Amino acid sequence: MARTTVWTLTLALAASAQVRHEDIAKGALADWLTYAGTYSGWRYSPLKQINAENAKNMVAKWVYHVPNARGLRSSPIVHEGVLYITDTNSVYAVDARSGRLVWRYADPRAQKGGVNRGAAIWGNRIYFTTSDNFLVALDRQSGVLIFNKQFADVEKGTTSTSVPLIAKGKVIVGSAGGDSGMRGFIMALSAETGDELWKTYTVPAKGEKGSETWGDLIEWGGGAAWLSGTYDPGLDMLYWTTGNPWPDYNGSVRQGDNLYTCSLLALDLDSGKMNWYFQFTPHDTHDWDAQSWPVLMDTEIRGQQRKVVLHANRNGFFYALDRVTGEFLRATQLIDKVTWAKGIDDKGRPVPAGNSEPTPQGNWVCPSVKGATNWMGQSYNPGTGLLYVLTLEQCGMYFSSSQQPQPMKNFSGGGATEEGGQVVLRALDPKTGRRVWEYPMTGFGRMWTGTVSTAGGVIFTGDDDGHMVALDAKNGKNLWHFNVGELLTASPVT
Amino acid sequence: MRAFAVAFFLAAPLALFAQHGRYFRDSHHPSIGNPEAIATGTKLFMGSCAGCHGPDGGGGARGPNLVRRSLWHPLSDEAIFQVIRKGVPGTDMPPTKLGDEQTWNLVAFIHALTGPASANPVPGDAAAGKAVYWGAKAGCSSCHAIHGEGGRLGPDLSNIGGSRPLAVIRESVVEPAKDLAYLGNEAATVVLKNGTTLEGAAKNRSNYSLQLVDKQGKLHLLQMRDVKQLTLSESSPMPADYAKRLTKEELRDLLAYLADQDIRKGSK
Repeated sequence: MARTTVWTLTLALAASAQVRHEDIAKGALADWLTYAGTYSGWRYSPLKQINAENAKNMVAKWVYHVPNARGLRSSPIVHEGVLYITDTNSVYAVDARSGRLVWRYADPRAQKGGVNRGAAIWGNRIYFTTSDNFLVALDRQSGVLIFNKQFADVEKGTTSTSVPLIAKGKVIVGSAGGDSGMRGFIMALSAETGDELWKTYTVPAKGEKGSETWGDLIEWGGGAAWLSGTYDPGLDMLYWTTGNPWPDYNGSVRQGDNLYTCSLLALDLDSGKMNWYFQFTPHDTHDWDAQSWPVLMDTEIRGQQRKVVLHANRNGFFYALDRVTGEFLRATQLIDKVTWAKGIDDKGRPVPAGNSEPTPQGNWVCPSVKGATNWMGQSYNPGTGLLYVLTLEQCGMYFSSSQQPQPMKNFSGGGATEEGGQVVLRALDPKTGRRVWEYPMTGFGRMWTGTVSTAGGVIFTGDDDGHMVALDAKNGKNLWHFNVGELLTASPVT
Repeated sequence: MRAFAVAFFLAAPLALFAQHGRYFRDSHHPSIGNPEAIATGTKLFMGSCAGCHGPDGGGGARGPNLVRRSLWHPLSDEAIFQVIRKGVPGTDMPPTKLGDEQTWNLVAFIHALTGPASANPVPGDAAAGKAVYWGAKAGCSSCHAIHGEGGRLGPDLSNIGGSRPLAVIRESVVEPAKDLAYLGNEAATVVLKNGTTLEGAAKNRSNYSLQLVDKQGKLHLLQMRDVKQLTLSESSPMPADYAKRLTKEELRDLLAYLADQDIRKGSK
């Protein structure tokens, strides 16, 4: 059995008491208080003790083996010298200096398994969700349970893998399970009590606006919200992505665009009201969930300063939208091989290339089902002005099934293969969407590691061959590598 | 070395419990897990077995603890069936003349004993036990938390009924010293080289570092090079007098309340 490890290379300590909204809003410093480091999804640290000159001197400090873990998806939260890591239905608090366990919380009676993407912190509490949809709050110092409250019913096909985002005392969670049929949603729960504050479905109910883009299976339409999202404190808006429509590979039973799947939703933090949506892949038949991070920044596009949200999508394109209005600004090709669409028109809609639908005999389409990128964290470095995105050059066969769709029976309407492929880390210019440099990796297109970048001008990530690497953020030059003995499966922090 | 006066309650998570206490889950006999069979087995057990093995299977003067036994390798349900039928030669355990169905009902009850206390019928009044737990006479909450209320030095009891058999909970309350040797809840006094003294529970320790939660519930991440003296308690800081301090009814009700602490109550 492969053991999964958490590696620490450097850390800094800080003294602070209760974690407040303002502390998270400040972004990463000595602490790392939200999954992506900042509400804007930058995975950026202003730390600069490690820089492009001295990165070559790094040595491993310790290894913590999470018992029986297989491919952790959790990115640590760090506060006052303690790392908080999640695995399936469990949380580990680890002394960041020594790598020793402080406490562990596990709920082995949870009804479901599956991955977990991490914890959140607020006040003196650590939050995470169990796979059967309990929000769990724990005392951060002792691991004592404060509350566990169920927010959704597994009997309706919903599970939970997402990492909660906490803003202004609201814990935002989403639903997983979209590949087996369920109705996706995003919810806000009270950090104080775990009580529901609002719930916004990602697929409309019959008769509601948008339901005309579906057929009879709308109640099981999917649109899972299985990752997390970003937040603009100025606009008080959440940016959350949604997954594929169900059944994944059989679009004939759900004619139409299938709103609001494979989309980016802008939600009001206080009410959950959908201010706007943008659908990247209307009527998806390739399982191209939109789960990749919506990165928020203010930048100049075509000579005009704008509040934008950038999104590298699984469908092979890299988008820029106005994050106030949702207006489509631009899309550029993220990877070299895209066969399903000729491009994106000036309204943001893909121009189909034809002959790319899944068939009973199989159809060869690029990108593959894993997508041109995926949920792994990107990072934006204000020092270089570049966005670093892990991309995958891979194609695959897509098959359809004529079987009658059956919700919650692990039926996805077909299947897909992943064939060959190469991972390439790409540095993109947010202003133009163009590549500035790229770092091709050796391997089989299997890695899932995200990136983090620092004011020291270094990018940390994993490669496709079981190494942790440090790259020069200016030009992608390899500065350091360390063989961890297996593929890294989550995003680093510093 | 001597213990300082910090009262721990249950020396809960039992490191070897998984190997020691469990029976193999390889039996497919329909009586296992069947509430009616367990209820019938309960009556049989109370009438014929409890005199030696104790009412909760926790052991008595003549019969061993059936819930947490000293065997490394767990017994199968079939092996327990045979012991009930044939007895254990050379011991006080006699053969029985029970029919197959009755014997399986007994096995079903014994199997259920190893499951969480919250999943089995427990004698006593949980509401009365709540008052005992939170009252000054027992003083449990000064060291233990339930849903965040209470002390941080002893193990969290929010899920104690959902994770431990009743007999194990009883033993931890009445004979806490039996299970103290548990890294993670040692009572520790630390004198740092800078003169500071800290008292609390060592959540973890090695030759190089110590992770200590103090009496106020604050976590201290210490490096052993900064420690002048570390004193670990040799005995359980959990008071050992609960069998005398509480009346039989209070103890029974307290156990009923603890058995009721299950974080999965009402889960869908």
